[in-house]
Amino acid sequence: MHREGACYFRDMPVDWKRLILILVTGAGAGLLWNAASGRGFALGRSVLVQTGDELVAAKDARALLDRGALFLDARPRDFWRMSRIPRALSLPEEDFDRALAQVEPRLRRASAIVVYCSGYGCEASLVVARKLRERGYAAAVLDEGLPAWQDAAGPMDSEPRP
Amino acid sequence: MSGLLRSPRLHLLLRLGLGAFFVYASLDKIWSPAAFARIVYQWQVVGPVPSNVVAATLPWIELLAGLLLVAGAWKREAALVVALLLVMFLLAAASVLARGIDVENCGCFSVAKPEAASAWAPAWTKGVGWFLVTRNLVLLGAAGVLAFLTPSRPTAGAADGVAALSAPRSESLPS
Repeated sequence: MHREGACYFRDMPVDWKRLILILVTGAGAGLLWNAASGRGFALGRSVLVQTGDELVAAKDARALLDRGALFLDARPRDFWRMSRIPRALSLPEEDFDRALAQVEPRLRRASAIVVYCSGYGCEASLVVARKLRERGYAAAVLDEGLPAWQDAAGPMDSEPRP
Repeated sequence: MSGLLRSPRLHLLLRLGLGAFFVYASLDKIWSPAAFARIVYQWQVVGPVPSNVVAATLPWIELLAGLLLVAGAWKREAALVVALLLVMFLLAAASVLARGIDVENCGCFSVAKPEAASAWAPAWTKGVGWFLVTRNLVLLGAAGVLAFLTPSRPTAGAADGVAALSAPRSESLPS
């Protein structure tokens, strides 16, 4: 005797309405908790981005590169050694103070500064840009990092560096 | 083998184990949704805004499915939901491994930073790697048994396996 609304895998009655109800109720509870618990976050933007952070889309960043903006690679230096946006300098988050001393003369001359790292899950570019702002340098962050740059057909320099 | 997989005792064990596992896995993520969103970002699968929706909703689906399994209500549907989640996790892990992305904390249980998260567990148990893939395949097998096999009716004086072999399929218990 098959129940109405049930689908049978061999001998197995599965009520798809129940399955969908579990998914919808769970998702609804999650959205409600996020909105009303006081522990939630804004769903419409990255949780890594804070007030004061300036993001630049990959398309606009390409135009900035063409106009001679200084690009800074916030990834660990080994990644920069392997490949980078053309003319980008290495300013890794974990070695910020030492690396800053090396790039500071270029920062002073830069018309615009764009910091990037490996994607929207990477916080290093935001952290580096904030530290630069604290020191008086206006630095934008490449929104969604290198994957977005490559999706926008942005050029890469893959010549190994020492 | 089929008889063993239809053993009521095995089903009870799998149901309680899998349910408790998913309830436990959901708690820290529910308590710290923004921290969980940061971890979902590191998988770099669906973009930041869809990742936010995943971070807000996924732990509650885990919790609900886990509670239903522990309570023994809507067992098959809850097991199917768990199986769907595990397939999704496996596909995402395969994508992460194929792209060579280093995810130090998979966010499976804890949203704490890797160095702070339960120091007793070695690092390879926390990241996205072959341990996670193997564990999820085992869990998927358990969910599959619960979802696709009807436990045999216990028969007085008979071992589970014998009972399973003798139980006619048409007499399956409704979930």
